Formats: sequence, structure tokens, C-alpha cells
Amino acid sequence: MALSPSRRPRSRFSIYVGVLAASAVLTGCGGGLLGQDDEGADTDAPIVLGLITPLSGSSSAIGPYMQNGAQLAVDEINADGGVDGRKLELVVEDEGCDPRTATAAANKLVTKGVDISVGGYCSGATLPTLPIFEKAGIPMIIPAANSTELVDQGLENVFLVNGTGTQQAESAVEFMTKQNATRVALVDDNTSYSTDIAKRTAELLEKGTGPELATHESVTAGESDYSANVNAVLQADPDFVYWTGYYQEGGLILRQLRQAGYTGALMVADGSVDQQLVEIAGAANGEGVFATMTQTPDTIPGAEAWIESYRDKFGSDPGPYSTQSYDAVRVAAEAVAQAGSTETEDVIKALEGIDGFELFSGPLTFTEEHTLSSGGFLILSVQDGKFQLADSLE
Amino acid sequence: MSQLIWNGLFVGSFYALVALGYSMVYGIIKLLNFAHGDIYMLGAFVGFGLLTMSGALATSAGFLGLLVVLLIAMLATGTAGLILERVAYRPLRSAPRLSVLITAVGASFALEYGMRLVAGPNPEVYPVRLEGTTLHVIGARITVEQIALVAIAVVLMVSLQWLVMGTGTGRAMRAIAQDPKASLYMGINVNAVIARTFFIGSALAGAAGVMAGAYYGKIDFLMGFLIGLKAFTAAVIGGIGNIKGAMLGGLVLGMLEAFGTAWLGGEWRDVFAFGFLIVFLTLRPTGLLGERVTERV
Repeated sequence: MALSPSRRPRSRFSIYVGVLAASAVLTGCGGGLLGQDDEGADTDAPIVLGLITPLSGSSSAIGPYMQNGAQLAVDEINADGGVDGRKLELVVEDEGCDPRTATAAANKLVTKGVDISVGGYCSGATLPTLPIFEKAGIPMIIPAANSTELVDQGLENVFLVNGTGTQQAESAVEFMTKQNATRVALVDDNTSYSTDIAKRTAELLEKGTGPELATHESVTAGESDYSANVNAVLQADPDFVYWTGYYQEGGLILRQLRQAGYTGALMVADGSVDQQLVEIAGAANGEGVFATMTQTPDTIPGAEAWIESYRDKFGSDPGPYSTQSYDAVRVAAEAVAQAGSTETEDVIKALEGIDGFELFSGPLTFTEEHTLSSGGFLILSVQDGKFQLADSLE
Repeated sequence: MSQLIWNGLFVGSFYALVALGYSMVYGIIKLLNFAHGDIYMLGAFVGFGLLTMSGALATSAGFLGLLVVLLIAMLATGTAGLILERVAYRPLRSAPRLSVLITAVGASFALEYGMRLVAGPNPEVYPVRLEGTTLHVIGARITVEQIALVAIAVVLMVSLQWLVMGTGTGRAMRAIAQDPKASLYMGINVNAVIARTFFIGSALAGAAGVMAGAYYGKIDFLMGFLIGLKAFTAAVIGGIGNIKGAMLGGLVLGMLEAFGTAWLGGEWRDVFAFGFLIVFLTLRPTGLLGERVTERV
């Protein structure tokens, strides 16, 4: 509280507290943020990477996938001697898919002296962390969150390693057209990530000559009964339904659509690509469901060895965004190596200069908006209860 | 249209079952038990645990097996309600109402994240799914299972009504609702009756949890949060503290949501539902069936 800017005249007491707190920061964080500018590449201090990810709340299933993916990259790089002789260190904070929790987490990372942020899953929770990291001069390499809103502000320090909502929407519409869909219903869950994709898809459908937009419906996440929404969708008589939210509700909506007698095509966005989607929907209802997705370990040729080492280390299978988090750490390390320091401007320049660095999603070069030059979205479909590559859209 | 009404009634019967517990507890000790929605979640998980443990046995027994599971889960959540009351609320019986309210929120978080520790953050899928024949009744698609679930809800609500209006315990509950001190002087064991109220309300929520698990199929540790809020809304619409009001409020809320979505679109569904909560709180705080009670001094 005492450190937050306030327009009200402060009482003597709070000034006192403020001064005390500020001096504590100044003296206590020698290796932290304020000391960073003096640190060159020649120090032995570890390079601290901060990972904000949902470890609690509705998306808490994703957190461990991202944390493990990032940890794997950190361990591999450290085993190879680190970056310029400096070890990497990963600090993880919980975002709970909640903007307030995420803000607190970001502030915590800043005070812990993080050099680069490699986290961000829920777009709605990642958005408020942007100005915090920007002010602190911490470059962000966001592995999963991909709402276009994240880059709309044009912040210098923000880089997305996942394809954006726009790119996902383009792939979705391309595939709908390929499937000869005529009337498309969009369903989102009212979060930044989900409405972003739905809105961009709606725009493309309205502009394009392909399928037309039948209806655009929003639901509230966290409920069990979506019969009212399903009913509204069916009223519009679509032959293609695209769900852009997360898998927990996605499974229920697919199931309830089928139960209500819908027989047309179904597609989900990348937040819904999880084995649980099929389990919640029921095997029969899940079969044949399409998905727009970035590359996952399963769909990447030659990732078997990587999956094996992940399994050895953590005793479980990698999941969504394990690879992107792994890549985010590698990109961070590459940028520091190129820059020769962890100074903000050098790192940002190095990130902008990356040309063809090999990621799971293909060679990486950032666009001017700091997004991937190619979204790398594929179409998956559920075959025998598992997501399989259906169309690589090439 | 008939589909909308049926959808509303079906969801509404879940809201009503959960709202009953809210309303009963409020009626007796003027406590908004915000942990009530999490008791519903607990019921869903107890049912899930039982079905998973019994394996093929429950699946082959079909609907009957599910009924047995439902009863056991009701006993378990009822007991959980007893423990909750004993540990979290009884020590604060004479404390200001705000303290108890805060404790209720704390109890809610304790249940949610306690369950997360036990069952993990991932949603679970019920091993038994109610999926069956679809009937077409005057233009609405109705499944046999939906009818069965609504029937169970009605049976539970009717027995509750009988319990409250026709038994000694019920009379004691109503007496405490009117005046706890006088009831005490009249020789009613107030604490025991309050505990029983918690047991009954929690058992009903547990039943709703198992039914939701078996019908919708997905359960997770946060599933009680929204339905808790909705049940609270239903209780207020019907007249909080009034049992028939809670049932009516549940059905009305279900309808409001169904029609609100159809008329205004899905993004307005909750605005519509919670807007009604505000309208009722300002214009008719006693709800549809509540009577104005003179405030005791």
C-alpha cells in the first residue's frame, strides 16, 4: 500500500512507512531489480526467470504442465553450463486465472528481482501484469496467453510465443470454408482469450465470402447446465459450431449440444484441447470434434525423445503448453546469450533480432508486433477418443 | 417455448434443492451459510468416490445403484454439515453476525481447497452417466433421466415439507426461527435442533451434487461456487427463511435464466438472473412468499 502511487495527500505516518519501505527495497535488493543495471555479463549471479501460471482455480490443471516444461528447459540449459557461465533459475508464482492474483504475483516477481518473465496462461489474468513488468523493465516472453489485446498496447517488452487470436481465427475460418460450412455459430465464455478469438472469427466470417455467421453466444464459465445457451444456438440453425473457451465447459457444451439433437460439425479452440474434453463430453459425443491448435508434443514429428525425457523427470506425460513454456525459457536464454547481458534494452533488441531460432512450432522470427510470424495453427480432430492431426492447413 | 420451460424447470429443481439448505439455516439462525454450495460439491465428490470404488457393481445396478449412492452421499454431506456447524459456527453463536459471515466464507475456501488437495485440480468425470431415451413432449426434448431426477427432487422436497410441518423436530425448528431464547426457556434443545437443520440442509445439497454429477458428468472442486450464488439468489427471490419460497425461487430463477438467454442472449443470462436479485433486495426484500416479520428487539 505504502508504495502505491496515491493522489490523496498522505498522512505523516504513511510517508514514514513509505520511506521505510523504500529504503528496505533499496538496501535489501542488491541483487534485485534496482541492482540489475549495474550487472554486466561478467557476474556469476543466476539469471532469474519468472513464471506466472495458474496453480489454483479453474485452470490449475495447466500450471504443472507449464512449470514442468519450463523447468525441463532450465535444467537442460544449466546442465550445458548455463548462459555465459551464468545459471538459470526459475521462480514460479500462481495466477489462479484471476487478474488480482496475477497482479500480486507479478509484483512479487518484480521484488524478487526477476530478469525475464516466461509465464502467462490466462489472457485475462496476464493483461494486468503487462504494465507492472513494463515499468520494472522486465521483458516478457509469454508462452500460452494469446489474446490480441496483449499486443494491442504495443508495449516494447511483450513477446508472444504462442499464435495470436487473430491467427487462430484465420485458421479456423480457413478450415470452416474447406469443410463447406454454411452457417457458423460461435460460443465463447466471456474471458479475454475466448471473446478475442470469437470476435475475430466473427469479423472474418462477416467480411468473407465463405460461411456466414449464424449466431454468437456467450456463456458463463463454471456452471454445469448450459441448456439455455445450447437452445439459443440451435435456434439459429447452424451447421458448424465453434467453441472458443476452455475444456471444462467445452466438454459440457459439446455433450449438451449433442443431447439436444445437434448433428452438425463441432470445433474447439486451443484452450479446449485436452484429453479431459473428450472424457467430459463422453466418447460418442467427442468423436470427430475438430480443434484449432498450436503444435503439441503429440502432433510434432520427432518430439518422442523430448516426451521421454519429460516423463523420466516428472513421472507424468506433458500436456498443453509444456512445449511452449519449454520454448519460452529457451528463447529467453538465447536472447540473453545474444545480448551478452540481462539489461532490458539489450534483451529486447536481441529478441527482436532472433532469426529462425528452432522452436517446436517451427523457426522463430518475431513480427513487428512481437508475435509469431506464422501462427502455426493446425486442425486436430478426435479419432478413437484422442486428438489427432487432421489437417495441417498448408 | 415448451423446451425453454422444461429447461428452466430442470435447472430450477437443482437450484431449489440447494436453496432449501440456505433458506433453512437462514430462517433459524440468520446466517448466510456461504459454504453451502461447497457442500453440494462435496456431495458430488462423495458420490464419485463411491461409484469409483464400487466399480462395475454400481454400473450394473444402474439407476438403483445410483439411488443407494445418493443416499450414502446424503448421509455423508449431512454429517459434514454437522461438523461444519459444530466447528465453524457454534463457537460463534453469540458473536456479531459479520464474524459468522466471514467464517462462512472461510469455511467455503477451506472446503474448496481442501478438496483440491484430496482430489486434485483436474475435473473428474463420473463413471456412471445418465444418458437415455429422449421423449418428445409438446415440442420439448425430455429424457427419462431428467424426469427421474426431477421426481427425486420433488420427493425430497415433499418429505422436507412434511418434516418441517408435521414432526416434533419441525415444530422445534419453526419455534427457534421465531424466537431462539423463548424456545430455550420452553425446554427445546436449541443446539441439537440447529445441528439437525444443518444435517438436513446439507443432505439435500449433497443429493443435488450427486444428481448433477451423474447427469452433467463433470465435477471439480469449484463447482459449488456459482450454484451457491444462484441458490442464494433463488432463496432471496422466494423469500429467504421460507421453505416453500426456496422451492418456488429455484424454479423461478431457472425460468428467468432460460427465458433471459432466449430473449437477450447468453452473455446476459447472469446479468438477468442477478439483476433480479438486486430488484428483489431493493423492492421486495422478503421475496415472493416471505411475510414481513416485525423485527425483534
